[in-house]
Amino acid sequence: MSTDVRTALDPAPAAESPEPGKRRVAPLSEDSRLATEIRALAERGEMDEARERFGGLVAAHQRRALRIAYQYLRDAAEADEAVQDAFVKVFSHIGSYREAWPFEVWFTRILINGCLDRRKARSRRDRWFTSSTDATPADEARASLSAAASRPDANPEGRILARERRERLAAAIDRLDGRQRTVFMLCHYGDCTPREVSAMTGLNESTVRVHLFRAARKLRGLLGGKP
Amino acid sequence: MIARTPHLNDERLLDRYLAVRSGEMPDPPAADHLADCAECTARYDELAGFMDHVRADADAETDAVFPAERLRLQQQHIARRLEAVGRPPRVITFPARLAGAKLSAGRAGITRWKYGAAAASLILVGGIGAMGVGALYDSMWRPAQRARVFATPRPARLAPVATDGNQPAPDPAADDAFLSDLELALERPRTRELQAFDALTPHVRTVSDKAR
Repeated sequence: MSTDVRTALDPAPAAESPEPGKRRVAPLSEDSRLATEIRALAERGEMDEARERFGGLVAAHQRRALRIAYQYLRDAAEADEAVQDAFVKVFSHIGSYREAWPFEVWFTRILINGCLDRRKARSRRDRWFTSSTDATPADEARASLSAAASRPDANPEGRILARERRERLAAAIDRLDGRQRTVFMLCHYGDCTPREVSAMTGLNESTVRVHLFRAARKLRGLLGGKP
Repeated sequence: MIARTPHLNDERLLDRYLAVRSGEMPDPPAADHLADCAECTARYDELAGFMDHVRADADAETDAVFPAERLRLQQQHIARRLEAVGRPPRVITFPARLAGAKLSAGRAGITRWKYGAAAASLILVGGIGAMGVGALYDSMWRPAQRARVFATPRPARLAPVATDGNQPAPDPAADDAFLSDLELALERPRTRELQAFDALTPHVRTVSDKAR
């Protein structure tokens, strides 16, 4: 089962507030402030200026978004497209952004929704075509070449071992339950706190912690305690 | 005698790991216990080591697949796509006067042999269509055979292009830009209804990346 985050563009936060009726007023982060400015520019019709400012948000979140999307999809081209789509969707719907959410939370919800859609589409495709759930040979070759270029001192055996380790880890993550996988991805690869994951997924914060704990335990069991 | 607190369970150790990583205040009783208990400290170190390794592997893998050049290209693609946001779709007007002239000229010149040629081509298309339906039937009712066909490694589909050596090598950035424009065109409202088919077929960029 997947944790679908269908209401990503809705203005109201989906997570349960720890104290109903009281909204915690947190200072706006730099990204959230920038997103608010872009929204104002878009509302005034100053689209060129809005696009230029949005470039800053892209640069700030691109790497983290790619890490999440790639670990989710295990395909560089799909991850690339998912991230592009998420940014374009965010800009197209910037008018619905509300300061009640940190920009990072809002953006990540949209990204995860896109990744989930792509996984579903892929599973439909795989009924008709050969499986493409693993990293493509082109991705692996590219990764190996880049890794070799960045670490010329690493011996070939070490690179092969590292690659095998990553494949084993990816397979183990793929065996997690949908919610456990989403929570683990967001917490561990997306640098999100359980509270933020709670806001993104609509799950209770304690439920997020339980899923994360179970995911970590299962991964350790699958990998023999070592990655 | 001082009563010792019970050992920390894995859940509390993970909570502490998350708190430390995100710069939050760790649970004080857990911190006190860890300071005194070598067994729990060892378990915590093992858990933290495992989680750090998982994260480091993911970082290294993502950095290898998406080097700085690719990040820059992606930023350019995003910027190009954002240019189209908020702008009405381009409509390419059909040259009506030219089409009208050709149509009237065609009507005047219709002869019997043209009817014959049209009928022959219709029969030909029908025959090819019937063969296609037969092939489709075969592929649907012979999944094992179909899987073999798809799984068999194919020879390179891209034929080498002869050049005189002075021509520049094909620019992958230009290819990507072209594919990006193509995808943008496909996302226009007029072709929205084709997206269900698009979801069922390999994406053009996926195919091109695999071909590289």
